[in-house]
Amino acid sequence: MNAWTSYQLQDFIPFTAEVYFRLLERMGETFWPLHLLTLALGAATLVLALTQRTRIACLLPAPFWAFVAVAFFFQRYAALNWAGGYVGDAFIVQAVLLVVMALTGWGMDNAPRATNPPVAIGIAITLFGLIIMPLMAPLSGGPWFQAEVYGIHADPTAVTTLGLVLIMLRGFALWIAAIIPALWLVVSGLTLQVLDSSGAVVLFAVLAIALVGLVWKSIASKR
Amino acid sequence: MKHHIKHRITRRQSLTLIGATLAAVTLPTASLLANTGGMQQKTFAGTGKTLPIIGMGTWRTFNVGNDPELLDARTEVVKAFFEHGGGLIDSSPMYGSAPDVMGYALQQLGTPESLFSAEKVWSPAGGSAREQVAELEDRWQVEQFDLVQVHNLTDWREHLAALQEMKAEGTISHVGITTSHGRRHSEIEQIMTSEDIDFVQLTYNITHREAENRLLPLAEERGIGVIANRPYDGGSLIKNLKRRNAPLPEWAEAECGCTTWADFLLKFIVSHPAITCAIPATTQVEHMRENMRAGHAPMPSPDARQRMAATIESL
Repeated sequence: MNAWTSYQLQDFIPFTAEVYFRLLERMGETFWPLHLLTLALGAATLVLALTQRTRIACLLPAPFWAFVAVAFFFQRYAALNWAGGYVGDAFIVQAVLLVVMALTGWGMDNAPRATNPPVAIGIAITLFGLIIMPLMAPLSGGPWFQAEVYGIHADPTAVTTLGLVLIMLRGFALWIAAIIPALWLVVSGLTLQVLDSSGAVVLFAVLAIALVGLVWKSIASKR
Repeated sequence: MKHHIKHRITRRQSLTLIGATLAAVTLPTASLLANTGGMQQKTFAGTGKTLPIIGMGTWRTFNVGNDPELLDARTEVVKAFFEHGGGLIDSSPMYGSAPDVMGYALQQLGTPESLFSAEKVWSPAGGSAREQVAELEDRWQVEQFDLVQVHNLTDWREHLAALQEMKAEGTISHVGITTSHGRRHSEIEQIMTSEDIDFVQLTYNITHREAENRLLPLAEERGIGVIANRPYDGGSLIKNLKRRNAPLPEWAEAECGCTTWADFLLKFIVSHPAITCAIPATTQVEHMRENMRAGHAPMPSPDARQRMAATIESL
């Protein structure tokens, strides 16, 4: 038997669904009511991005990426999965990247219009990350503390940021800023698929829509 | 087995040991089963020592991090394992927090005399074999492991040499190698032939029987203990049987005492003369009890084993 072809996706996920969803729940329990602040700042970031204050809008998500790296990946997820520390490193890199972009103004789209289709896609993805994602667990019968919230949990942080970069960035910088959020959504989607969670489909759908937005904005900016 | 709690050999264990040694000397391999008041035991690695034929795996199921609720739930599973005569518990540095969870459970329950602690060394975990073993002993909170295996043959030459040295020094009791999913069997065969190992761990279940061709006969010939991992094929065998709502064949209870599919699948594995024990993993106390019942007599005869395999093939 060929050693590599014998591996299945589930061989790389060393925990059960029960453990993973309890982890999300414990994040919620531990940091409540920080959720209110992160959601308010997420909404503020969206407004800033749409009102041409893109550099400050680019800066605001950075501390949340660093927070998720430390509180979620380094302190909790890494105990379950030896690869968790590397993902945490990637989240720190994203935080630094957002700070550098904000400080230098590299790739800023200083006049995003909500009527512009890729920007509209960005707004929809951002609102989905901020409003719909926290409701998914409670609406599907899970406890409220399992609600995944921007700035606290990895998935809505990645989704919301993906939406925001579609609004406030353009050109090569847009793709650079989208890489880590997109890769995490792939990893998380595959994880949820192994855990038999319908959340996998949601993440892959968001990713596909975001990809359409990224390509659209890149093509439009070249015209 | 040297753990932080002193080990006394009880009268029952002494009798078991003497009985099993006599059996090992006088009877063919197939009759190395010893019934010790429920859970059956087998001698292993030509030592005359015995192990309960149902052990416990920890892949995925015991990786609960530092969640207090789940730590207590897994402690209950370990408690049920020992209450039902369990012995070998297998873990790995690749299993996330599973070694720490074992440490927590043993701290809560005390370290039973019957524990046969089996760990692994694995290159991506970092550090030399010695460093890894020392770290894992701290995590389990035991003084010494009964068995340390090279996980999935990673850097096996270096690791095995280090483990052999540690065995010679008396800092570990037995050494072994592992594989799963039928991977790298020819390399496993070479190591079993050329190296002095006590255990080999491999995938063997009713739908994955490749090991019967060469590895299991070789293990018998060389006196190497065999630990069967993935007894339910990662849970998919039980899931599929439940999904099909397939009834157990009527003869299964009369001939080999099977009252559940778990019994059926586990008894098939542990009744192979070369298999020392199977290591099903579970998060549920009830499933643990079900697994442990499969270690009780009667065991299927060679004919019954053939019918068991044919039954699963026909579904």
